[in-house]
Amino acid sequence: MKTEQILAVRKHKTVYRDGDRAVKLFDTCYSKADILSEALNLARIEETGLPVPHVHEVTKLDGRWAIITDFIEGYTLQSLMEAQPVRRDEYLAQFVDIQLSMHRKTCPLLQKLKDKMSRKIDESELDATCRYELHARLNAMPKHNKVCHGDFHPSNVMITPQGQAYILDWSHATQGNASADAARTYLRFCLSGEHETADGYLKRFCRQSNTARQYVEAWMPIVAASQSVKGLPEERDFLLSWANIADYE
Amino acid sequence: MTEPTYSRRVIDSKEELEAAFSRLREAARRYASYTQEQVDAVFRAAALAANRARIPLAEAAVEETGMGVVEDKVIKNHFASEYIYNAYKDTKTCGVIEEDAASGFRRIAAPIGVITAVIPTTNPTSTAIFKLLLAIKTRNAMLLCPHPRAKRCTAEAARLVLKAAVEAGAPEGLFDWIDEPSLQLTDAAMREADLILATGGPGMVKAAYASGKPAVGVGAGNTPAVFDETADVEAAVSSVLHSKVFDNGMICASEQAVIAADGIYDKVREEFAARGGYLLNAEETEQIRRLMIINGSLNAAVVGQTAPHIAQLAGFSVPSETKVLIGEVESVLPQEAFAHEKLSPVLALYRASDFGDALNKAERLVEDGGYGHTAALYIDPHRAPDRLARFEERMKTCRILINTPAAQGGVGDLYNFRLAPSLTLGCGSWGGNSVSDNVGVMHLLNIKTVAVRRNNMLWFRTPPKIYMKQGCLRHALAELRDAMQAQSVFVVTDRFLYQSGMLTPLLDRLHELSLRFTVYADVDPDPTLAHAERGADAMRQFEPDVILAVGGGSAMDAAKVMWVMYEHPDTNFHDMAMRFMDIRKRVYRFPDMGQKARFVAVPTSSGTGSEVTPFAVITDEESGIKYPLADYALMPHMAIIDIDLMMNQPPSLTAASGIDALTHAIEAYGSMMSTDFTDALALGAIERIITYLPRCYHDGPNDPQAREKLANASTMAGMAFANAFLGVCHSMAHKLGAYHHLPHGVANALLIEEVMRFNASSAPTRMGTFPQYECPHTLARYGQIAKAIGLHGDSDEERLERLIEVIGKLKHKVGIKPSLKAYGITEEAFESSLDEMAREAFDDQCTGANPRYPLIDEIKAMYRRMYDRQEASE
Repeated sequence: MKTEQILAVRKHKTVYRDGDRAVKLFDTCYSKADILSEALNLARIEETGLPVPHVHEVTKLDGRWAIITDFIEGYTLQSLMEAQPVRRDEYLAQFVDIQLSMHRKTCPLLQKLKDKMSRKIDESELDATCRYELHARLNAMPKHNKVCHGDFHPSNVMITPQGQAYILDWSHATQGNASADAARTYLRFCLSGEHETADGYLKRFCRQSNTARQYVEAWMPIVAASQSVKGLPEERDFLLSWANIADYE
Repeated sequence: MTEPTYSRRVIDSKEELEAAFSRLREAARRYASYTQEQVDAVFRAAALAANRARIPLAEAAVEETGMGVVEDKVIKNHFASEYIYNAYKDTKTCGVIEEDAASGFRRIAAPIGVITAVIPTTNPTSTAIFKLLLAIKTRNAMLLCPHPRAKRCTAEAARLVLKAAVEAGAPEGLFDWIDEPSLQLTDAAMREADLILATGGPGMVKAAYASGKPAVGVGAGNTPAVFDETADVEAAVSSVLHSKVFDNGMICASEQAVIAADGIYDKVREEFAARGGYLLNAEETEQIRRLMIINGSLNAAVVGQTAPHIAQLAGFSVPSETKVLIGEVESVLPQEAFAHEKLSPVLALYRASDFGDALNKAERLVEDGGYGHTAALYIDPHRAPDRLARFEERMKTCRILINTPAAQGGVGDLYNFRLAPSLTLGCGSWGGNSVSDNVGVMHLLNIKTVAVRRNNMLWFRTPPKIYMKQGCLRHALAELRDAMQAQSVFVVTDRFLYQSGMLTPLLDRLHELSLRFTVYADVDPDPTLAHAERGADAMRQFEPDVILAVGGGSAMDAAKVMWVMYEHPDTNFHDMAMRFMDIRKRVYRFPDMGQKARFVAVPTSSGTGSEVTPFAVITDEESGIKYPLADYALMPHMAIIDIDLMMNQPPSLTAASGIDALTHAIEAYGSMMSTDFTDALALGAIERIITYLPRCYHDGPNDPQAREKLANASTMAGMAFANAFLGVCHSMAHKLGAYHHLPHGVANALLIEEVMRFNASSAPTRMGTFPQYECPHTLARYGQIAKAIGLHGDSDEERLERLIEVIGKLKHKVGIKPSLKAYGITEEAFESSLDEMAREAFDDQCTGANPRYPLIDEIKAMYRRMYDRQEASE
């Protein structure tokens, strides 16, 4: 197998193009379970009929794990938004549409969002009081079973030259409450300093999905706590400030 | 503080928690047998111990949580011990707590078992004391789930209350607490509990309800305080500041927003500024917004902090004596940070254009953050009672406080002495809670209600006067004038009687007495509502003060209905005819009668008994439906039994009405509601009918003695069934008569034997429901009838057969045919009517008193047997 062009470099993983395939090559330090789980997530999402690159192989190349999938030709929504700032609103609307079409799907075998969040709160370095409050809040959140991407961001949406949208990177996928997924997207925008985009996104999401803003906001301390686990040290203070909330009494 | 005298295991894992629950269950089991005196001694000792420790506990709470004010927490601890003790010291919570021996009614309080109590971080010691005292008073064991931020002080409070309780005699280990709180342990404790008492945030309360165990959970508050233009501004502002500053704003009932009327707004503003309120400028308002709310959630860093400290966190400074930070804001929507619950001395101030605007704003604030909790109004109730009423009507909160500091007022017993003292305030279904009261001992008890079987009360009602003996009519009519002071008499009778001239002596007598009178003779058999309406019209024209009904059942019933229409023209007969199970519990309240006219009944046949009954039947000519009316308001004021008016009845009428009277007496005797009074009348009637009916039938016009006995028997039977009611024979006869056009008496005659056999069963499919009807005993009752008329036999079965034989012979003697078929009804016509007849008979008003509750198929079977029955052999 020859690896040609480098498509993306992320922490501990690199994505190459190999003809009509994409090869995601993991560093040796990467957890085998996480890699297999990512492939399994992707395979499960394929079955929902959502437009995603299909998995072809999970293999080892030169002693490193790799997931081989379809290569999707095109531009990410992120790069389109950057290239054509005047069309930003239009792309944002498309972005929310794609997210909502995903939320209309169910995938009963994916791990549950609330279980994952609960685990992440435990793993966070927040103090016991804060964890207690967040657990209490999480517990009271409604149980849903919608497909949630877990890192839905314009950089993970590929638009082909034909205009077809593909959703990439399913390593954080869960099933659960769509508002949590939206809170995660909002947080992701905020973390990259795109506050205006974050706000525009949230307004659109709430309007298009007929959701109250408070309902999405209620998830924010939880997704912030979750993100603080294995997060970047420079983001930590910001995330903890989001997580340190009191419930009303 | 000293450690308890026994060792306690630290609870920091699920295993330890499980072990703790088995200890708690054992303690609860032992404590459940304590007497009220023992419990009260423990309650007192525990309250005293908590009270004594109020200052160290307050200090410990502030030190550990970093929130609130020691001096204010002292008040809360003091309140939780002293006020709770005082409120419940004399309350009965053990064993019999209420007894009404005469009614056979007792309420017995039993403990619940082990209660899991979630303790909030805002009131970590006072809520612990409060809940433990409630548990002690109600003989429950309790596991406390402290908040992790307040785990040590909550545990300390529990430790010293437990120590005092045990020293005063409570079982060891009656309380325990989680030492290392986590949501997993709290969750597990909720699942183990017999009841959960959850105070805390909405998440905790939801978890309590989701645990599957019964829960008393209470919700969040977002109290608005509306200042009406009649409010005493000085008092109102001080009241709000006093409340808002208390424990740095951590009481859930605290005011979160003041909504001031436009006319007093500036004055309110000045008054706040003068009393330690700090009015934020636009920039500071924005800084506070950014600090307070993070993505719609309350920043934990501001909870329970002082106003200057919060200002400093927000990036500006205020004078050190500042009590409360006040933001003048407009929006009441959740996007406005000031519209939220703030758990700190930060207050929103709104200007209301008028009272309606103030209500809208308050309503919205309550809806978004404090559904069901508390709302406050400052007003002069004497000057603006209507606005007070509108506020009460609009606020969906379980506490509505008037001119009262909400923090101190909401917990009860401080500013109003009927509101129960409590640190757990229910928010009703609006707040997703199971209670809307201030939680107290009654919520922690199981109440057993002991209900001993009692007899249903019964009464005996009859017209105040019944005249009898041949020729009594003259005297009775004189009484209309002399005793009733009547002037105008409206005579209702049927056409035949009027045209035959039989009424002439009666009318002459009225004339003689100088009574103004008129005769309404347009009454047919089976009178209709339209007939009655015409009669009532005539009454309204004539305006009588006595209605004199002369005739058979039809005339008397029609006259009763005219009487109702005359007195109450708007009566709805549909409602009036509604079936009831108990005449004294019916939904419809019958209008009072006798305001315009008295009712006097003069029967001219011996059967219906209507002269002494509170019943009337009227037909709706449009639907063909018969309305049976029954209410003691329809009881005649006088009945006149004079055989001068009866001598010339034709034999067929004598036979049918005589048998009708016999079935009245038999059914009244068999009724579940029969009494000694009705029994005597019923038996007397039966004896007389059996003896005198044949004589009347054969030679009535020449046998005044038989006529009189039969007339009296008919009235006696009427008095019996007016009070004991009838049974399924009449139910079935009503429908049989209606479907196949048989005289009522004949229909009853055809059915009575079938019904007697049916009722006599000692193991009926269903017995009737009435407290004094203890077991199916109708066979013996029929046996008693047989004995009363001189029939003998070795058993009740035999006596019943004899009785049925006698009735059969009687029917034969008076020309009644043995079966429906013999009356010329074809089998086809009968069968096609059967289903409907049976269903309607089942639902007839008379069915309810029958000693055997009939199934529809059983009614059908009786109808079938009756259809082609052979005549009993002579």
